[in-house]
Amino acid sequence: MRHRIAILGLATGLLLAACSSASPEAKDAAVSTPTSTEPTTTSIAAVDPTPTTTPARSPLAELVTPVGSAQYDPADHIDDRPLPTSITIEGIGITAAPVVDVGVKDNGDMEIPGADGVGWYRFNATPGEPGSAVLAAHISFDGQPGVFRYLDEASVGDRVVIQFDDGTTSEFEIIELDQYDKQELPTDRVFAKTGDPVLTLITCGGDFNRSLRSYEDNVVAYAIPIGV
Amino acid sequence: MKKLIAVFAATLMTLAIAAPAMAQSEARIHLIHGIPDTPVDVIVDGEAVFTDFNFGDTQDLSSLAGATLVGLQVVLAGTDTVAIDAGDVDLPASGNYSITANLDAVGTPTITVFANDTAAIDAGSGRLQVRHTAAAPAVDVKADGAVAFSNLSNPNEAKADLPAATYSVEVVPTGADEPVVIGPADIAVKDGESLIVYAVGSLEGGSLTVLTESITGLGAAPEAVPTGNSPVESGIPLGMVAGMLVIATIAVGGGLTLARRSN
Repeated sequence: MRHRIAILGLATGLLLAACSSASPEAKDAAVSTPTSTEPTTTSIAAVDPTPTTTPARSPLAELVTPVGSAQYDPADHIDDRPLPTSITIEGIGITAAPVVDVGVKDNGDMEIPGADGVGWYRFNATPGEPGSAVLAAHISFDGQPGVFRYLDEASVGDRVVIQFDDGTTSEFEIIELDQYDKQELPTDRVFAKTGDPVLTLITCGGDFNRSLRSYEDNVVAYAIPIGV
Repeated sequence: MKKLIAVFAATLMTLAIAAPAMAQSEARIHLIHGIPDTPVDVIVDGEAVFTDFNFGDTQDLSSLAGATLVGLQVVLAGTDTVAIDAGDVDLPASGNYSITANLDAVGTPTITVFANDTAAIDAGSGRLQVRHTAAAPAVDVKADGAVAFSNLSNPNEAKADLPAATYSVEVVPTGADEPVVIGPADIAVKDGESLIVYAVGSLEGGSLTVLTESITGLGAAPEAVPTGNSPVESGIPLGMVAGMLVIATIAVGGGLTLARRSN
């Protein structure tokens, strides 16, 4: 209330001006009338509202943080990232194996293409983006060797080349190979949405359980970008 | 009033020191300006918390969780014209909230508090929460041509978990196909994220549009990565030998292979 003492008459005039300028039509009308021979009250509306009071800065101001604009930006809703199309790991005999984008099955499992394909998990990063880009392929599918048949024989230092649908390629270097019991697959790490870019290659390994038609383990190779 | 603000002042240093820890607490409170073409100042107990707050701007009030905003007023920027006189407003002590300054159904500026749904989302899905905070009648919200949410009125919301994808969204009067009052606009529902879309502005004033905010980190990873349904031959050397084995398999087990393929 102590800030409201000031200049009531002037304030009222400007307030009316401010109110009318809040309407686009009123503002346009005001802007279009400066050639009028005699000044009218509408010309005041063309003037930006000037402070009639200067409220003290609240101590709360130190505790609030602007977090940008909520205005709709179409660019936020268009996914135009280059997508991976093939993978080459010469060290284990993989040459330009096709990569397709995959999601999740109804039972919550990651989708995996047939023996000849590699699935890129479309809900995570593309290779080279922040977070984990996940590529998975079979070790063996319906009696045929899968693309990642020999992933467990890759070595730290092996090069991985990813080709994208815009014609570009990115190179990665394997830095770590792990074998996990499937019940203990570190999904938080494997499917990390954030963090340094890592290319995570997954297949199966360990003993094959014939009754479940499934392997006991997952073999995971982690690779990081090189030459960037 | 004065007592409370005095309490704020007295605890300011404590709060400032505690702020990093509080930021990690569960409280997340955002204030969103949802009235087009109306820059405002936000006043608490006669003092400006922030000034020249513009349409779409968002302020994080999480550090004030549990506090009472005494005599909260929203005034037209740089003036004394009170657009919203909200009185004393208690901020939630914990939880995830969005507070909007918006128009009610008939165009009067008001404050609306929404609790955000932060329940876990299945892998491969995202959440869409749509809030009617515009001076407009009830609407239907269509996604890819089909009504996703019907008869949504100010200040209500509707929500659904959807397969993560980009949807073409239109807003039409309830029960009608046209006129399309907002959109069509591409809306990307992302894996593990809740996208909150606010219909804002005024139908009469021709300023209907949308604001958006998202809450991330609600998702899940796939349950498993099943990458093998048949055994590999054990004890067999690599490379060419494997190739030879394929040939041997064809030669010896051709009939069996054919039988399997016919399944």
